[in-house]
Amino acid sequence: MSVIDILTRVDAICKKYDKYDVDKHKESNVSGDDAFARLYSSIEADIDAAIEKSENASNEKNRAAVVAINAEIRRTKARLLEEIPKLQRLSQKKVKGLSREELATRGDLVIALSERIEAIPDGTAAGAKKTGSWGTSVSLTEIKIDSSDGRFESEYFQQTEESNQFRQEFEMRKIKQDQGLDAIADGLDTLKNMAHDMNEELDRQVPLIDEIDTKVDRATSDLKNTNVRLKDTVTKLRSSRNFCIDIILLCIILGIAAYLYK
Amino acid sequence: MTSTQEAEKMMIKGDKLTKLSLTRWSADWRNATSLYEKAAVAFRYAKENEKAKTAFEKAAKGQEMLSSPWDAAKHMESAGAIAKDLGNWNEVSDFYRRASELYNECGRSQPASDALAKGARSLEDAAPDEAVRMYTDACAILEEDGKEQMAFDLYRAATSIYLKLERYTDATTCLLRWGLAADKCEAVNSQCKAYLSAIIVYLYSHDFKQAQKCHNDCSQIEAFVGSDQNRCAVRLLAAYKEGDVEEIKRIGQSSTISQLDHMIIRLARKLPTGEVSSLNVEDKGEEEPLDENDLT
Repeated sequence: MSVIDILTRVDAICKKYDKYDVDKHKESNVSGDDAFARLYSSIEADIDAAIEKSENASNEKNRAAVVAINAEIRRTKARLLEEIPKLQRLSQKKVKGLSREELATRGDLVIALSERIEAIPDGTAAGAKKTGSWGTSVSLTEIKIDSSDGRFESEYFQQTEESNQFRQEFEMRKIKQDQGLDAIADGLDTLKNMAHDMNEELDRQVPLIDEIDTKVDRATSDLKNTNVRLKDTVTKLRSSRNFCIDIILLCIILGIAAYLYK
Repeated sequence: MTSTQEAEKMMIKGDKLTKLSLTRWSADWRNATSLYEKAAVAFRYAKENEKAKTAFEKAAKGQEMLSSPWDAAKHMESAGAIAKDLGNWNEVSDFYRRASELYNECGRSQPASDALAKGARSLEDAAPDEAVRMYTDACAILEEDGKEQMAFDLYRAATSIYLKLERYTDATTCLLRWGLAADKCEAVNSQCKAYLSAIIVYLYSHDFKQAQKCHNDCSQIEAFVGSDQNRCAVRLLAAYKEGDVEEIKRIGQSSTISQLDHMIIRLARKLPTGEVSSLNVEDKGEEEPLDENDLT
């Protein structure tokens, strides 16, 4: 486990449990009377949780899981947006120990909070970019009626548009793959047939080559014999030639001797 | 022309040497044979086919007398080749058969069957029946000697002649014998191809029942059952049963069929020959007596 892992883990744990701490702090600070502060902090906590969920969704590979998480986020958003008006009403109320500026800022805080809620990514934004034509979805997000179902529908529809394209591409790629595989199968069939035929041909030629082998062996041994005999004959001849030369020389000497004596 | 004159002179001399008369008690075959051979070569060179043929015949006889059947057979083959040029088909077959017998005397089966095959090839167009007979005899010679592998080409040639003559049952018999020969020498691929070809020929000649029977018989053989060719045959018969012309055409284009011999491929491409649906009706006709339910 590397240091970075430990650090991230610790951060996550702290964040998880910070909630309780902050609440405790706030509660200790706020004397329990400030309903606005309480509501504000709870809404903030929910926003953080929703943002975390949306991050999970963006990392999720399984589209079904993504859809489920997005649906949850949307539900949370809707609920939070409902609470915003309550918060606004509370912000108008005067609370003990609160300065006038703080009252003003509270109003701004509420507006900022509502903007933050809307900014939580729940897949709508990405969808809107892809299907620009689906303006209805954009308008639906602006209408803040409790039409979370309506929003669901548009969301769902976009999802199928994406998945339609995806499915089409998938089918086309699959068809191309099948064609390629068919071509390979045909080639392999031809190869197999050729290999079988070669096998049979070689089987046919094995006994022939054995015959050739024996015949050639016989021929070589014959040749060897003949060579040896030839060599013998040649040496004999040569020695006999020497003999002949001797005889001839003898005759010449005898002839010369006879001539001298005559 | 002088060479032919010399050759004729040699022939006359040879005849004189071999004819027995009062002055000559024993024929001088050795000299006569050499004279005949020279004469025959000279005639062949001069394209005097008739005379060359006679010269070769006589030379062969001479060699026989000299008890060298090998040379005799060789001369007979040459005579047969010349007879083919002359177009005397009877003589062609006689010469080649005689040559094959002489080779058998030498104890060499391969050249014997080769001689018959050569004769059959030259007779293919003119006298196909005789050619087929020669091919089958050649295959028999090889099979006796245990050399079935060499017989494949002969079987293929015989089958192609039968198919040209459109004698489909004979062709299938030949193919099945080919399969048997392949089985003996463990040539599984050739065996399966022979069986598939037989089934296709039966289907081509409209004989669906025979084709099925043939397929059943072949399915007894393990080597065939597990082969590509069997799968193709099963698909083909199933397509025929259902009368699915498109499927039959598609199978005819498949690679298994394209591996067979070209004459079988030609048949397979033409395959749904006529009414495939009628085959269906035949089958249904058989079922009717069995169950009375409506077959409309």
